[in-house]
Amino acid sequence: MTAQSQYRWRRDKEGLGVWEHRGKVAVAGYGHSPVDRRWDETSMDQTLGAYSILACQKAMADAGVTPDQIDGVICCPTTIAGASGGAASNWAPRPFFDPPYDSEWGLTRVNAQWLIKQMNLRNVKYAPASAPTIGEMVGMASQAVGDGLCTTCLVIYPTGNLTGRYRRGGENAEDYAKGERQWTVPWGNHGGNDFINIFPHNEYCLKYGGAHDDLAPFVINQHRNGLMTPWGFNATHDVPQLTLEDYVTSRYILNPLRLWDCDRPVNASAAYLFTTADRAREMQQPPVYVLNHSQHNFKQRSTQPMLDEIETWTDFAARQMYEGSGLSAGDVDIFNPYDGYSTMTQFYLEAFQWHGVKRGDAFAFYADDIRVEGPHPFSSGGGNLGNGRTRTSMYTDSIEQLRGTAGRRQVKVRAETALCAFTTPSSGGWLMLGKYPS
Amino acid sequence: MARLISFDIDGTLEVGDPPGAITMAMVRIAEGLGIIIGSCSDRMVSDQTRIWRDHRIPVQFTVLKHQLDTVKAQFAADEYYHIGDTNMDRFYAERSGFKFLLTGAGVERLWIPQ
Repeated sequence: MTAQSQYRWRRDKEGLGVWEHRGKVAVAGYGHSPVDRRWDETSMDQTLGAYSILACQKAMADAGVTPDQIDGVICCPTTIAGASGGAASNWAPRPFFDPPYDSEWGLTRVNAQWLIKQMNLRNVKYAPASAPTIGEMVGMASQAVGDGLCTTCLVIYPTGNLTGRYRRGGENAEDYAKGERQWTVPWGNHGGNDFINIFPHNEYCLKYGGAHDDLAPFVINQHRNGLMTPWGFNATHDVPQLTLEDYVTSRYILNPLRLWDCDRPVNASAAYLFTTADRAREMQQPPVYVLNHSQHNFKQRSTQPMLDEIETWTDFAARQMYEGSGLSAGDVDIFNPYDGYSTMTQFYLEAFQWHGVKRGDAFAFYADDIRVEGPHPFSSGGGNLGNGRTRTSMYTDSIEQLRGTAGRRQVKVRAETALCAFTTPSSGGWLMLGKYPS
Repeated sequence: MARLISFDIDGTLEVGDPPGAITMAMVRIAEGLGIIIGSCSDRMVSDQTRIWRDHRIPVQFTVLKHQLDTVKAQFAADEYYHIGDTNMDRFYAERSGFKFLLTGAGVERLWIPQ
């Protein structure tokens, strides 16, 4: 099996030019498990591992490939609930179960080696032991296929959730922040709520005008798109359509961040099948070509990013992606940026200038017609806010829009290119997809 | 003696996600005893209303978790209780002048007629 440690697959610099494998790699299949709020701790066919196997089987069935054709497996082995998530992210010290659930693998974490064994994937030659999150994994897979490390690669992103306070276990659950934690996590968690979003978002409102609740049309539309996504949490759990009243009366998680500005942690898994463009054309579905992938990871000035840094970072990400894909803002038909917190999405929208939106324009854009039926079908997949914290609807919707199989979400505008991501402003990755290879 | 019980949903009621220890049969009994009942949850009000409608249990209030104080202002009672499963339930209950009871921690005593 190919060693991963020295493999330089990232495209994280400007000046790299158009991606050398542009249009030569394709996504040929995808699959989603059910999206549950949590694992119920008893149903062994609903574990994170079982759901990951199911997602892989669906992705292979979608593409029309058999297990013996799989020669690459990239799976994120970390827990989305956070290493210090306590009971929400670790099964231990509770007793484990019979194999294959005799360790954390398959319960709270899934890796390539566990999947290869359970699925008896005998011909895998590329399966890195470590893998980043989905935002970068799709780039890793694209580059690996393009470079010939494998030809038919499953990319799996498990997002687990157990009973317990999400990311509030271990030291995060203690009443005191000791040592350096008094500076970095004084309130028990250092996450997107406070440091990534609130201060820059408030800065944004001060600089450009507008108020926090100007996000309402965007959040409501994400829920609307989510209810049209058959596999998503909202659509499968009878979650009612969010209304303006629901939004503006919801409680603050951290003022001004409201409950509905935050995504809902879930227990689910998704898989994608990457292959060469030539092979994809022989498979079951119309190929969705990879036109570029890019990553970024910026060193922060301090624990607290500010608006000017975020705008610089996201501008960089946009330039980098457009350079590598050979496309410009006006060429992008489908735009599915990340929305794990609604407050961050405006930074991406304005950096990539989708549909001409420039710095400070996002709130006015949200107030326009951003429905999938309209002229500006923004975030047509519904994102995490509409589907739960799977971090994958951005990819699946983009694939479906380019295939023309998005059902009720199918946009009325041209759908030949799609830009999608799971990323924070400071780190993550972007993926450009095309209906045609060039 | 008038008694009011506010129920959290997720982690508290059997129909919550995750299911809690309070069965809908218990809620019906409380309603039958003349206790003022309703729900106080982070779920949308429309979602709370749907749950009660689906189970054909008439409730007097459905409010968001941070609006529990409006219930006290609206209904006169001698005792106000909120049953929930998290520290957020405790926080909003105590802030609103309700006695907080953790789900399953001997809450059955509230069903004993006064």
